[in-house]
Amino acid sequence: MRMPMKMRVNLIERPPMLGAIPFIAVLAGWWLLPRVLDYPEYMLPPIATVLDLALESIRDGSLARQIGVSLLRLAAGFFAGIALAVPLGLAIALNRHVADIFRPVLSFLQSIAGIAWVPLAIIWFGVGVGSVVFVIANTIFFASIYNTVTGVQAIPTALHRAVRSHGGHGAGLLFNLILPGALAQILLGMRTSLAYGWRALVAAEMIAGTSGLGYMTMEAVQWQRTETVILGMIVIGALWMLLDRLVFTAIERRTVMRWGLLQR
Amino acid sequence: MNESAVLRSPHAWALSRKRARALKGALGVLLLLFLWQASVPMVGLEPYFYPAPVDVARAFVDLCAKGILPVYIADSIGRYAVGVPLGAVLGIVAGVLIGLNRTIAEALSPLLRFLFAIVEVAWIPIFVIWFGYGFTTILLALVYVVFFPVLYNTLLGVRTAPQILVNALRSLGASRWQVLTLVILPASLPGIITGLRVGAGFAFRGLVFAEIIAAKTGIGYLIFEGAQTQQTARTIVGMILMGLMWLTIDQFYLRPIERATVQRWGLTVEAEQR
Repeated sequence: MRMPMKMRVNLIERPPMLGAIPFIAVLAGWWLLPRVLDYPEYMLPPIATVLDLALESIRDGSLARQIGVSLLRLAAGFFAGIALAVPLGLAIALNRHVADIFRPVLSFLQSIAGIAWVPLAIIWFGVGVGSVVFVIANTIFFASIYNTVTGVQAIPTALHRAVRSHGGHGAGLLFNLILPGALAQILLGMRTSLAYGWRALVAAEMIAGTSGLGYMTMEAVQWQRTETVILGMIVIGALWMLLDRLVFTAIERRTVMRWGLLQR
Repeated sequence: MNESAVLRSPHAWALSRKRARALKGALGVLLLLFLWQASVPMVGLEPYFYPAPVDVARAFVDLCAKGILPVYIADSIGRYAVGVPLGAVLGIVAGVLIGLNRTIAEALSPLLRFLFAIVEVAWIPIFVIWFGYGFTTILLALVYVVFFPVLYNTLLGVRTAPQILVNALRSLGASRWQVLTLVILPASLPGIITGLRVGAGFAFRGLVFAEIIAAKTGIGYLIFEGAQTQQTARTIVGMILMGLMWLTIDQFYLRPIERATVQRWGLTVEAEQR
């Protein structure tokens, strides 16, 4: 993966109301549609039905429960995946020959990580939490280990020699050069893999879950309770925006941007 | 060191290093296969729970002999080859149209972000309600997941096209169409390619998931059906093929496109990765 200069243009400098107009237009269209067109209600229930369901499930705490369950699994899989992948990746990357041996295999495993493991996970762990967490951990693990190895390998040899010739070795070398040097790539990998992990979470809950947002959304299809499906989609979208904003932008600001590794 | 090694040209050196890398990579694959095969008797579980590489190879030959595998591979490739370009074209067109007006671009940006945040996986249930299990649902999921990153990055490119060039062309009497094709589109190309790469990656896993839910053929279906019928070796055949297909797509389609466009012009812009 390349690490080119990051360019982001601020599209946020706008009157706050302007961005609300399209949302209002969509809601108005949704409100108007059943009054203009004739279609069965299960295809697209009226806004009021979805809103009632949302209020009801907030009041009785069932929505918070499903969100909590899903987020807890994401966190568990995420931390387990990283805790295993980064040390292992560093161990592999420290020797150039070992890294050369493992990199193609890791690249291959990274490309099948995630959703494709769900059926196998069901055989190994049964339907339920185990399968879901395994699939997320698996997604994060393979992406992180690959990016750790490539990140360490991308550290310029000159820096290695500079640290060495000043007497740096062992833990000093690891903490002063290798970890900071590979960090940008590791974080980039984490960010990308979290996007895959989130999809894997929703997908795994749909196929192998017994609770959680994905389960809630897919289960409702069988009973044609479309309002639950739509509520699930809105919550999934809102949560992902929040996660991406709060978690990753914050981490990047604290680490990568501070050290000038990634420019905006 | 012998004489011939010293006299080798830099080019030959690079080549031999590349070859050494490829050999080491092959060694890694063999090592993995060996460890997997060696671990089977140690684990000592039923083949359906932990199949050996030999079982997987046998399942592969069996699936080929029955003519199942070629059909599944062709179906998966067909779905992907229709969905991804369609999503990309729609994304580019929409991105240019929206991007040409600053106010519209700024107004729509939050809604577009929100729609992209509702990942394609989450759309599949409602697609199933609207269109049933089948090609339409799969195709829509693929188009959706490619559309948004391409659209967003096109929009970004259009909005950041150097105004000075636009002004220069305008003052020389260029039409709106000329400004679009000579400045704005080339300026947005790196963004478009980045969007395509991000979308293509999501789309490939999205395809597998959509096939698990909504298809009766394809690699995703093979992976799911194998596990359902406890023919786990078939599941692993599917997973390996999936990896090989993705590496093929990456190596022979995405990278050449990147090389032909972005790298040639020395423009590397990393845009939104989500």
